[in-house]
Amino acid sequence: MSASKTTGGKAIDILRNLPRISLANLRPNPGARKTERRRGRGAHGGNKSGRGHKGERQRGNRPRLGFEGGQTPFYLAIPKYGYNEGHSLRPQYQPLSLRRLQYLIDLGRVDTSQPIDLTQLVNGRGVTVQPLKRDYGVHLVEEGADIFSAKINIEVQRATEGAVAAIERNGGVITTGFYDFRSLTILCKPVPFFLSGQPIPKRMLPGEDMVRYYTGAENRGYLSDPEEVERARQELAQKYGYVLPDISKDELFHMLSMRKDCRQIFFGLAPGWVVNMAERKILKPTDEKLLRYYGS
Amino acid sequence: MGPRRDLPARSLGSNMSASVVNMLTRMCATIKPAYVWLSPVGVVPSAMGRLRMASSSTAEQKSAVVESTEEYKYVERLIPPTKIPTPPLHDGPAPSGWRPPSAVTPDLPYMVRRSRLHNVPVYTDLTHGNRKTTLLRKIEGDIWALENDVKEYLVQLTGKIPLTQVNEVTMSIRIKGHFDKELKEWLLEKGF
Repeated sequence: MSASKTTGGKAIDILRNLPRISLANLRPNPGARKTERRRGRGAHGGNKSGRGHKGERQRGNRPRLGFEGGQTPFYLAIPKYGYNEGHSLRPQYQPLSLRRLQYLIDLGRVDTSQPIDLTQLVNGRGVTVQPLKRDYGVHLVEEGADIFSAKINIEVQRATEGAVAAIERNGGVITTGFYDFRSLTILCKPVPFFLSGQPIPKRMLPGEDMVRYYTGAENRGYLSDPEEVERARQELAQKYGYVLPDISKDELFHMLSMRKDCRQIFFGLAPGWVVNMAERKILKPTDEKLLRYYGS
Repeated sequence: MGPRRDLPARSLGSNMSASVVNMLTRMCATIKPAYVWLSPVGVVPSAMGRLRMASSSTAEQKSAVVESTEEYKYVERLIPPTKIPTPPLHDGPAPSGWRPPSAVTPDLPYMVRRSRLHNVPVYTDLTHGNRKTTLLRKIEGDIWALENDVKEYLVQLTGKIPLTQVNEVTMSIRIKGHFDKELKEWLLEKGF
């Protein structure tokens, strides 16, 4: 029974009663250290000393690694192909499974009574997004769709069909939105941005390659037609075999219907505003040119 | 933002959009600003600038900036919390499978605390590409009794006595092999 009050338990009790530790009374466990075979010192380390008999092997003149005696070596016979070409320009998305999202909600790290944003996910330390590593946001994935049971208003950057179905089946709302690099950095780390004193920029619209995704109703894109989205919700409910709950009758309908404008980065804060955290104030511009710019 | 001509009108009310439009287009009241932000005149007063300043300082009645404290609550929502939140109460296991420690501490000579994020402290490790170990941390009390119980339990599961290492300084047990799922369930059943 290790009833010792100090750390170390039985081990330190034994040590206290033994003589002082010194090099004279220490040795490793038998079998822990094996003596090495010293080459060139007789018996089985001696004779040819493990170098073989004559030739390039014994004389230490073997050709370079990969040489196949003159036959075209493997690394030259296989043709080049651009598998990794442009890898540093490909958009990446940090995966977020529904299982992890449910875990975060269960532990209270993500608040379901407010719309869930990438900022809320990062604040709850649920995902880590690195905009500098070509991350364009978070990808919602349907791993754990069978255990997911939370009614949320969530905004991600990509979502699989199964994830959309799982969220809508529970009476929630999912939107996919695009954030350009600067907006994404600000979204992930809002406090350093506010401390820098710059006005909130307007979110840029997606590039050519992404417009199709974000204008599609199947992806619940933020630029898509709401009527098409409603139709897509019905179709998805039919496809996955669940009854689509009516959100308009819900008590949280106001929260569930909150959506960001396509130029807005944060809920409740418009582009052009400057946040003064020291004095807990927001400064808004009044010049018409600025208002026209930030309103466009 | 005003109604966008290129995109269809939204039926799902974008409440923020309406208030944002109000905010942006509303003419400011004469509130004394903390500092003049983007004033109409340039920063460096040149000869022309001084002239402009002279004329505009008399004409300028409205300030270039409106201050407001009503929307600051939206900023507060964005600040990351510094403390780990306590998990809300659930009836039984949560949907994700997480179970809180039992309210009654189990009557055993040892105790296994939860990690900072309220999880069972059993971790797997893989070193040298093929050496699998399981680590059981945050143990208090009689660690040898716990080691005995762990060995008994794993002997029933596998049929072989597992190799274990007890570290009394860090109060942790390292077991050869991956047994994280089994040990987590076992500890949860005990009520840790």
